[in-house]
Amino acid sequence: MSTNEMPRDSSDRIDLLQGTLDMLILRTLLFGPAHGHQIAKHIQRTTVDVLQVEHGSLYPALHRLERKGLVAAKWESAAKDQKREFKYYRLTPAGKKRLAADESKWKRMSEAIGRILWPVR
Amino acid sequence: MKFWRKKKEDDLDRELRSHLDLEAEAYREAGLLPLEARYAAQRALGNTTVIKEQTRDMWGFMLVEQFWQDLKYAVRGLRRTPGFAAVALLSLALGIGATTALFSVVYGVLIAPYPYAKPDEIWAPAVVGPKEAAENWHSYPRPEFIEIQKLPAFSDVMATTLDSVLLTGDRAPESFGGVFLSGNAFHFMGVKPQIGRTIQPFDIGPGGEPAAVVVLSYRLWQRLFDGRESALGEKLVLNNVPHTIIGVMPPRFGWYTGDGFWLPMPMDLKQEGYLNVIMRLAPGVTTQIGEQQLQALNRELARVTPQNFPKGDFRTVFLNYMDITVASGEMNSSLRLLLAAVGFLLLIACVNVANLQLARTTTRAREIALRLSVGANRPRLVRQLLTESVLLSVLGGGIGVLLAIGLTKAIAALIPSFYVPNEARITVNGWVLLFSFAVSVLTGVLFGLVPALQCSQPNLVDSLKEGGRGASGSIRGQKTRRTLVVTEVALAVILLAASSLTVRNFQSLLKKDPGFHPERTLMVNVQLSPKNYSTIEQRNIFSQNLLDRVKNLPGVQAATIGNGGMPFGGPRSAFSIEGLPPSQSQRLTVGLISADYPQTLGIRLQRGRQLTDQDVTRGDRYALINETAAKLWPAGQDPVGKHVNVELLAKPGSRQVLVPAGSSADVTIVGVLGDTRNAGLRDATTPAVFVPYTLVAPPARVLAVRTAGEPMAMLNTLRGVVQEMDREVPLGRPITVEEVLGFQTVQPRFNMALFGAFAALGLALAAAGIYSVVSYDVTQRFHEIGVRLALGASRGDVLGMVLRMAGTVVGIGLAIGVAGSIMLVRIVQFQVFEGTGFDPLSVVVVIVVLSSVALLASSVPAWRAAKLDPLTALRHD
Repeated sequence: MSTNEMPRDSSDRIDLLQGTLDMLILRTLLFGPAHGHQIAKHIQRTTVDVLQVEHGSLYPALHRLERKGLVAAKWESAAKDQKREFKYYRLTPAGKKRLAADESKWKRMSEAIGRILWPVR
Repeated sequence: MKFWRKKKEDDLDRELRSHLDLEAEAYREAGLLPLEARYAAQRALGNTTVIKEQTRDMWGFMLVEQFWQDLKYAVRGLRRTPGFAAVALLSLALGIGATTALFSVVYGVLIAPYPYAKPDEIWAPAVVGPKEAAENWHSYPRPEFIEIQKLPAFSDVMATTLDSVLLTGDRAPESFGGVFLSGNAFHFMGVKPQIGRTIQPFDIGPGGEPAAVVVLSYRLWQRLFDGRESALGEKLVLNNVPHTIIGVMPPRFGWYTGDGFWLPMPMDLKQEGYLNVIMRLAPGVTTQIGEQQLQALNRELARVTPQNFPKGDFRTVFLNYMDITVASGEMNSSLRLLLAAVGFLLLIACVNVANLQLARTTTRAREIALRLSVGANRPRLVRQLLTESVLLSVLGGGIGVLLAIGLTKAIAALIPSFYVPNEARITVNGWVLLFSFAVSVLTGVLFGLVPALQCSQPNLVDSLKEGGRGASGSIRGQKTRRTLVVTEVALAVILLAASSLTVRNFQSLLKKDPGFHPERTLMVNVQLSPKNYSTIEQRNIFSQNLLDRVKNLPGVQAATIGNGGMPFGGPRSAFSIEGLPPSQSQRLTVGLISADYPQTLGIRLQRGRQLTDQDVTRGDRYALINETAAKLWPAGQDPVGKHVNVELLAKPGSRQVLVPAGSSADVTIVGVLGDTRNAGLRDATTPAVFVPYTLVAPPARVLAVRTAGEPMAMLNTLRGVVQEMDREVPLGRPITVEEVLGFQTVQPRFNMALFGAFAALGLALAAAGIYSVVSYDVTQRFHEIGVRLALGASRGDVLGMVLRMAGTVVGIGLAIGVAGSIMLVRIVQFQVFEGTGFDPLSVVVVIVVLSSVALLASSVPAWRAAKLDPLTALRHD
């Protein structure tokens, strides 16, 4: 197997769990509709490059969310450049609900982990 | 779906392209050259093909889509290698076909033999004495049957009894085994009539008197009335009483008879005779509760009629009706064993195809390595390879089913019918097809998994470098292939060994001396009406006149009339030897004979004298015994001249069977006959006593005639003689002693034929396996062989090298197979083989047969290797 495994370039980047990526996407879309590239850039920016999103892995996730009905997609012309069209994703009500649930779950979990790792604080 | 699919595909394309554009723009703005920007953007995104593949997986219908893709690819692959496909399909078709055919027999005979409602919920009572091991179906007299019906544990209890019934009137007289049923029987069995109605409770009157009605079997209806519906309401004269035909049962209904009829049972409680009782449990009642209730009742009944129950502390158990069919003994164990054999055959076919598949995928190693290196994922690849094997096995299974249809017919023709319930239907039905399909898919996964896993995990670098040729061959692949052949050979050896056992078993039966001469001896049943011949004198005079006339017919060498010992069976009786305490457990088999019995059946007299015509006519109380019976006397005592008390002679046990008034049970022994296999060829001789037939007169007698010519040619003459004496006396179905003897060997013959066929198939498949592996090996080593030849190896060396390789593989397989079969026969107590162990000869035969087949299979490719031209071989790529 070793021959076809490329070494990952940096060790302090964290591979994303599937659920986490879904949550990050939904969270990004909370600010309004966005296309794939915008979502990728936003996640990269807000996580200060710590969470490495391979842009490629974004698209399977987006299509999965679309199939589950958590996001809706539509080709629309860009606000800046009316001549170019992008596939914009927006949150559906189901997506909003799921995000809320995921976030509270995430919060509880990270608090719990925090208490275990830094109990004094 | 296609259109939608295309749209989604374009959509994804466009989406990814716009992403790349935007990313490239960003890089350009950061100062990269356009081309560099493009590459950078592509790197940031990752492998587009892989992303697309992963995204498509999210669309949901992709599994189906991929399956189609794999299927199309597999079909193309098979068409590219027609040789491989043909051999693999043939192997699979043979394996699956044989399995399907045998399963259809197992299904018809063992799993679903009956058309009755929920046959596995029918129970038969057995009473087991403290010393008995066997659980035999217990029968009850009428009053006890009525008591059982009252038990709350049962929802339904029915009774059946058999008696011979004479059909007369304006038809040719004929004797039937009439089946008498309690009024609820048809409701109990839950089968609707084809036409008319069935017997109902009201057909048996309040005093137990049955209505004069009869329900016909389908076959009898066809035979007597050509299937005309107007038969309903017509009358048949049965036992001198006209009976109205009220219904006809469908073809598959065959309760106790497949070609007779059913009558309502007389329920006069004073009537003798025992009924076969079966029951269904009330809802919510377990068999334990049922057994407890019946046990309590049995205890009560045993106080009133102790003679019907074993002495001492007996217990009551239920037998499931499915476990006591005519197929449950020998046939059941034969079929199970054959199913195992056919499983082995299927396994050999699997191994064979796995081997072919492996060889094929090894040559495809380069293609697979290439696909892996450009990012194909492994589960997907395994799935695709598995799709190929399953496609192969399902196609093979399809051909196999066609084979199975023919094979099933052949087996059904060969199967001994008296070991098959007459309701059973042996056909390739829906369940069998389902089974066959499941087996096919399973087979595909089984033989596909090893090659799929192995070749989807190759050493990429090596495979790509070698270009799939492999000067040394992939060592691991070679090992796997050889292991597979070893397995195949071992399985074939076990099949061969088992079939050699069946052959030996059959031969040993044929070699057994039955103690009599079966040739040219015809037997017919002569049935008198009990009403017209109501005294023992009338019956004896008829028999005597008949015998006198028959003896004087031209072409008759000897003739005898009587019951039992012709050549098997006979009534069994308790006895006591003068001067010894009466035996508790042992019984004497009683033969009722006329003077020429030993001549007619060809049995030698050992000591003393035979019975004379005078003894028989007068009804003198003389007897012959067989050698086994002679051993009942203390050693050194000659039984000739001694007395023995045979209970049956005084108490025949049925109202139908007559004995002279005030008859004593005591007889004097005048001679000893040689032993015959009187309980069947495979069973020990039972002690037997032969007395003049005039001492006991049942309504039916057997007439046996030894002829000078073809025995069956005598039949019409015999029929004429009987008709002349009494127009209303029917002759039963004629049969020769040779035929009766033949029945004894039918099941072993069946086993031998099927085992032999399966072993031959197994051997052929194993040979194909050996051939394919050796020739593949040779092809892989062309280069090496060329080098050897160029360096001066002789052709003999090359031939020896290849044959040695084949010999090692086959030898290991042989050793494992022989050891395995010896162990299997030891561990599993095969009823079929009944103690026939392995002898050195049959092991040697198995080894020789397999070795020569293996030699033949490997010598062809070995010869090809030896004849190689070194130059061509070295250039071979």
